[in-house]
Amino acid sequence: MIQLFRVSKVYPPNYPALTDIHLHVEKGEFVFLSGPSGAGKTTLLKLLFREEEATGGQIIVNGRNITRLDGAGIARLRQEIGLVFQEFKLLPSMTALENVALAAEVVGMSRRESRRRAFHLLRELGLREKHDARPLTLSGGEQQRVAIARALVNDPILVLADEPTGNLDADMAEETMRVFLKIHEKGTTIMIATHDAGVLKRFHHRGVQLQRGRLMSDSKSAQREVAS
Amino acid sequence: MKVAQLSFVFRRVLKSLRELLWTHILTSGTMAMTLFIFGGFLLIQENLHGLLRGWGSQIQIFAYLEHSLSQADLQSLLGDVRNYPEVESVRFVSKGEAWENFREALGAQSGVLEGLPSDILPSSLEISLKRPYRYRASVAAVAQRLRGMKGISEVEYPEEWIEKLTLLVVGVQWAKWILGGFLFIATLLIVGSTVKLAILARKDEIEIMQLVGAPAGLIKAPFVIEGMIQGVLGASLSLFFLWLLFLFARYRLPSSLGIFPAHDQLQFLGSEAISLLVFLGWLLGAGGSLFSLRRFLKTWGSGRQ
Repeated sequence: MIQLFRVSKVYPPNYPALTDIHLHVEKGEFVFLSGPSGAGKTTLLKLLFREEEATGGQIIVNGRNITRLDGAGIARLRQEIGLVFQEFKLLPSMTALENVALAAEVVGMSRRESRRRAFHLLRELGLREKHDARPLTLSGGEQQRVAIARALVNDPILVLADEPTGNLDADMAEETMRVFLKIHEKGTTIMIATHDAGVLKRFHHRGVQLQRGRLMSDSKSAQREVAS
Repeated sequence: MKVAQLSFVFRRVLKSLRELLWTHILTSGTMAMTLFIFGGFLLIQENLHGLLRGWGSQIQIFAYLEHSLSQADLQSLLGDVRNYPEVESVRFVSKGEAWENFREALGAQSGVLEGLPSDILPSSLEISLKRPYRYRASVAAVAQRLRGMKGISEVEYPEEWIEKLTLLVVGVQWAKWILGGFLFIATLLIVGSTVKLAILARKDEIEIMQLVGAPAGLIKAPFVIEGMIQGVLGASLSLFFLWLLFLFARYRLPSSLGIFPAHDQLQFLGSEAISLLVFLGWLLGAGGSLFSLRRFLKTWGSGRQ
């Protein structure tokens, strides 16, 4: 699903955010990207949905090299990826339902179908009663579930989440992680960047650790080494 | 663009017009103000041109004829002068008519002419020139040619007056391009800044649309359509205020200013100028939105797309 070959990113004037990253993520995998602040987790995610452009190496997402894409190519790529952020990025002037349906409408789904799907997802995520509420009237956990519903509305092949539990207390963080696990059970590839040690301890999935822009450890390759 | 996306764009426009009503009113108002200044300039310029055309038609060359000129020579002279490419019309003023005109001009003092023979004044030709030749150099050239003709004793024309008029016409023409150009650029800058403010107010919306993979056209379209609506609305508003200004100038401005002999000589903008103003509004709205959007998307998404 995701392949990175010797990927690097240098921010001007000369700040290396990522150096020589090799990473392969299979379809349907659940990967935690961990590391302290400034390790390069967010930059790596940004490269995957092309918010940033790699300064070196090649990145393949779902069989397509995304290193060089024009504006239309980037839009198409993002239509296949669901994005979740720490700060939710919901529009306060829209209801929960409208926020979710927006993502479907902009890719050409009819209003009726978009709203039907949005409602269905919100119900699945336990927000049936809150579909008409504006984001600012919802709790942090609820807002994050609305954001997750928006990320899922176009049936993405890949979900990228950047510190999705960063603004939530422990209970809400746990609840949010369970939502991601449920999505993963349906076969969606998931990559979550987090520095939440609690989350990493409780959920035993593949962990990729970054430090100062370099890949320090990958639990999958460690398992392979143990097995061999 | 798919039908669903088109319907999305129009719903966004309606929603934005409803929710950001004051931002749109402010933008339309700014456009109306700047277009009002531009339109006002067009109005002044158009009326000034009309005035100059009126004054220009009064430019005449007077050619005084020799006393001894026979009827046949007169006819041949008239034919020759009428054939000048610069000449629009030639009117023959007989000695008798000249005498009458003189008497009328003297009015109450006409008694001083008593006892004088009525053929003492020379007959003359009043020559009007075509519009492109109503300038100092061409009037002088025609006068010079007339002086060399057989049967003409003297040629006169209002030299100083023509010189001033020529300067005024050239000045207005230059002012049209220089002042008009400055005004247009100023309008573009003001509208660009106002539109940028309106776009900044919806920065989050644009960012989220980009993140969920909305095509660039779909993000820009509502802003451009809003810009067009604002532009046309602004232009209509400016035309309304120009009309009020025109009515004020026509009926309230004292004729004692003496520039316009009669109020009804003042003309409102012609259909061409009105269309130009509406088109400019439309263009400024659409262009201003596109320009600001491009700059804004570039700044906000540096390294992004």
